[in-house]
Amino acid sequence: MSERVYNIEEAPNIDVSGDRYIMLQIGPSHPGSGHMRIKVWLDGDIVVKVDPDIGFVHRTSEWLSERREFIKAIPIVERIMLPDTIHANLSYITTLERLLGLEAPPRAQYLRTLAAEINRITSHLYGIGIFGIFLGSSTVYMWAFGDREPFIDLMEMLTGARITYSYIIPGGVRWDMPKGFKERAEKVLEYMEKRLKDYDDIWVKNPVVQSRCVNVGVIDKTNAIRLGVVGPNLRASGVYYDTRKHDPYAAYQNVDFEVPTFKNGDAYDRLLIRVEEIKQSMKIIKQVLKDMPEGKIIDEGTYKQLNPVMKKVYDERARVMFPAFYNHMRPQPGEATGRVEAGRGEIFFYLRSDGGKYPYRFRWVTPSFRNLPFFTHVAVGYRLADLPAIYGSVDYFPPEADR
Amino acid sequence: MGIIPLIIWLIEDLLYVIIFPGLVTVMVLAIIIIYIERKIAGKVQMRFGPLWVSKRIGGALQSVADLLRFSFQSFIVPEGADRLAFILAPGLMFAFSMIPLIFVPVGPYYSLLFPAGLTVLLSVALILVTPIYAIVIGWSSDNKFSFVGSLREAFLLMSYEIPFIFSVLSMVIFYRTLNYIDAVASQYRFLPGIILNPVAAVVMLIVMIRTTGRFPFDITEADSELVMGLFTEYSALFFGVGMATPYVELYVYSLIFSLLFLGGWWPAPLYSPGPIMGLILPGLVVVVKAFIVMTILVFLRSVYPRYRLDQAVRSGWGYVMGLSALAVVISILEVIFL
Amino acid sequence: MSESSAKERKLRNPIVGHIRALAKGFKYLVEPNRMTLDYPAETMKLPPNYRGFFTVDDKKCIGCSMCEMICPPQAITMIPRVQVQSGQTVPEGAGQGKKTKRPVVNWGRCIYCYFCFDICPVDAFVPSGVHDLAFYNDKDYRPSYEEYLKPPEEPYKNSKKVVSRPDLKRGVGYEPAP
Repeated sequence: MSERVYNIEEAPNIDVSGDRYIMLQIGPSHPGSGHMRIKVWLDGDIVVKVDPDIGFVHRTSEWLSERREFIKAIPIVERIMLPDTIHANLSYITTLERLLGLEAPPRAQYLRTLAAEINRITSHLYGIGIFGIFLGSSTVYMWAFGDREPFIDLMEMLTGARITYSYIIPGGVRWDMPKGFKERAEKVLEYMEKRLKDYDDIWVKNPVVQSRCVNVGVIDKTNAIRLGVVGPNLRASGVYYDTRKHDPYAAYQNVDFEVPTFKNGDAYDRLLIRVEEIKQSMKIIKQVLKDMPEGKIIDEGTYKQLNPVMKKVYDERARVMFPAFYNHMRPQPGEATGRVEAGRGEIFFYLRSDGGKYPYRFRWVTPSFRNLPFFTHVAVGYRLADLPAIYGSVDYFPPEADR
Repeated sequence: MGIIPLIIWLIEDLLYVIIFPGLVTVMVLAIIIIYIERKIAGKVQMRFGPLWVSKRIGGALQSVADLLRFSFQSFIVPEGADRLAFILAPGLMFAFSMIPLIFVPVGPYYSLLFPAGLTVLLSVALILVTPIYAIVIGWSSDNKFSFVGSLREAFLLMSYEIPFIFSVLSMVIFYRTLNYIDAVASQYRFLPGIILNPVAAVVMLIVMIRTTGRFPFDITEADSELVMGLFTEYSALFFGVGMATPYVELYVYSLIFSLLFLGGWWPAPLYSPGPIMGLILPGLVVVVKAFIVMTILVFLRSVYPRYRLDQAVRSGWGYVMGLSALAVVISILEVIFL
Repeated sequence: MSESSAKERKLRNPIVGHIRALAKGFKYLVEPNRMTLDYPAETMKLPPNYRGFFTVDDKKCIGCSMCEMICPPQAITMIPRVQVQSGQTVPEGAGQGKKTKRPVVNWGRCIYCYFCFDICPVDAFVPSGVHDLAFYNDKDYRPSYEEYLKPPEEPYKNSKKVVSRPDLKRGVGYEPAP
């Protein structure tokens, strides 16, 4: 276990000019950087300053979505966070529904919760896998990415796509659960519960992982709040905050789950919290499958606007087609916000309409971007070899931050 | 000695060094062990591993295909590199990793150019030359990642050299010889070294994992920190040679391990004349034993992530050193009381 | 209803941990439990709702341009056609009949969101069940209407067709397609 040499308070103020420090440019094309450049100044083996240089995958997504009809923003918001598309989609639709004054029927809300939790599991598995390859364990990388497959397979059954689902639309969802979905989901959950024990042996409780992660990248409760950390990283520092509990959306007020928190706020806790959240997500999925109410998956107002062909399709295949007004949706002038708890933390959208075809302003705040200042501070004082451990445990996703 | 026996003797030596158990065997074994390493990782990771090159035999030619690919790549020398050192170092590293084989007999027939009296000493001394070229590579590459990698190599070399020497020393004390053939003979009389002194065997295994960069000590080329460590700037066959060197080292270490700890060429007859019974048969036994040791070590890749540098160095100066000292003490006690 | 739970973490003893990790790795080594698909020797038979390549029913389409309007990446272009007696369309000038329009998809832009499917008032689009298709040059991305009408050809025709099924041992198992 390494002790920290430099203080977190003075970390950004260290003068790194002169011959004493080596500057390493990790990235943008480096196995351990992702789509960004991390400038690291080293004093021997100790990191004295970290300067993440982001923006390599900036795609002007906000600008693009402000110059399209409201409905066309759905694929764009999905593309910022590919491991976690449902949450982006859900957050945007929550915002848009508030602006339009729509409310989805209960069955649609439950389906949204179901999709969101399946997606949270794939997102966390993605994070665990990337963390694995950062510490050199190709096994857990392959396992985690392979075990996303059953869940992606479920989503494929539900939505017809593997990653970019575009599943949630204003007033409901696009497809109902197909036949045999429930049985299949139950089998997948049973499998995953068994698998998590294998993960314990090979990865989570592997002594090498423990010695690499325990007391590395520590951030305490006060600093975590001060630096604006969100999501699992915040809860790993012992702060109980989860949008699903504090500002319930979809069907989260109807399901029983707990929000796990840990106390130490080091890389190991950030790993454990993802495993715990996978367990909680599986619990939620079980309840949702059990309590799924009957009824329509689209609100009455939208359903009435479907033409006879579309109504027939809805009755036969449980598939919602879009009424013609989707092409020229013009919400009342006004503004709305929406936030959901995505896999990496809280995602927040602000949407303002001036009554026109396009959004007047569409502001995105993504969890990875809010975790970035934290990353700048947390790696200081640890060794160079701890940098992948910290970076992997933060589960930072550059395209999500750059947008 | 007449001139004709001398010529035969020289030819035998050449065959020994070049074909068995020398260069050709090493290359073949390196190719096989790389394939096996990838296949084992594939099995544990619930996938195929190499397959589509020669699908009928399970992708066994994948390593050969990789070698061919390396040989046809273009070789780039970075602008700021120390040109001569940059080009020479990987080859020298490879050569020096192979030279200890001259002193490692795989059968009693080994008499040859070099007097057999001090083979243990000479092979151990030569093994420890190889990592110097790792430092040369890091210095000449003009790349910070290579440089950090070579510094790491130096730190680790320092911390694991002495446990390695102690581990060999404890067996030397026990067998009371500096000669592999006598060491094997003494194991024929008693028991294999791994039973006599398990602590020394464990230390030796840890040092083998460390020196050849197997997991969990894959520290010098930790890809998420140092891209490719020492070989960041290399391409083409030079990169391939650099990647093969640890496997050659692994082979040499495994040979020494099987000679010192696994009873050498037991159960083949200890002394028998002629190249067939005296070299080929015992040689095969030793190589198979070494190969099993190698397989066990490459299996670790699919279980472990890697340790941090300071943890590895601390354990090297700490408990591994302590264990190796303990091994020496055990040997001394056994020599006194047995 | 449970709210939050502050968890205590328990670290495993290193020696136990090493043994369990090695044992688990060894277990997977001797009992290979492959979860991958031997693509392209085996390929998936896609479920009917899979969002892959698609084409349009020439007779059903009414040329209303709704799909062109909703297409988020603007991949759909409406091209002018002439509807002849039989209900089929021909290029302009090749026949007599009602002037109409038909959609053509630029595969280089399409993101397979299937909004066009859902906005279509007559449900004229037809999924093809093909998704693993690559194009060799830029021009192939932009088919003409006639090329677009033909369902895309499936690659790896000789491969074994499998469908996925839930499997308690490896998550997703594959069995031969019915």
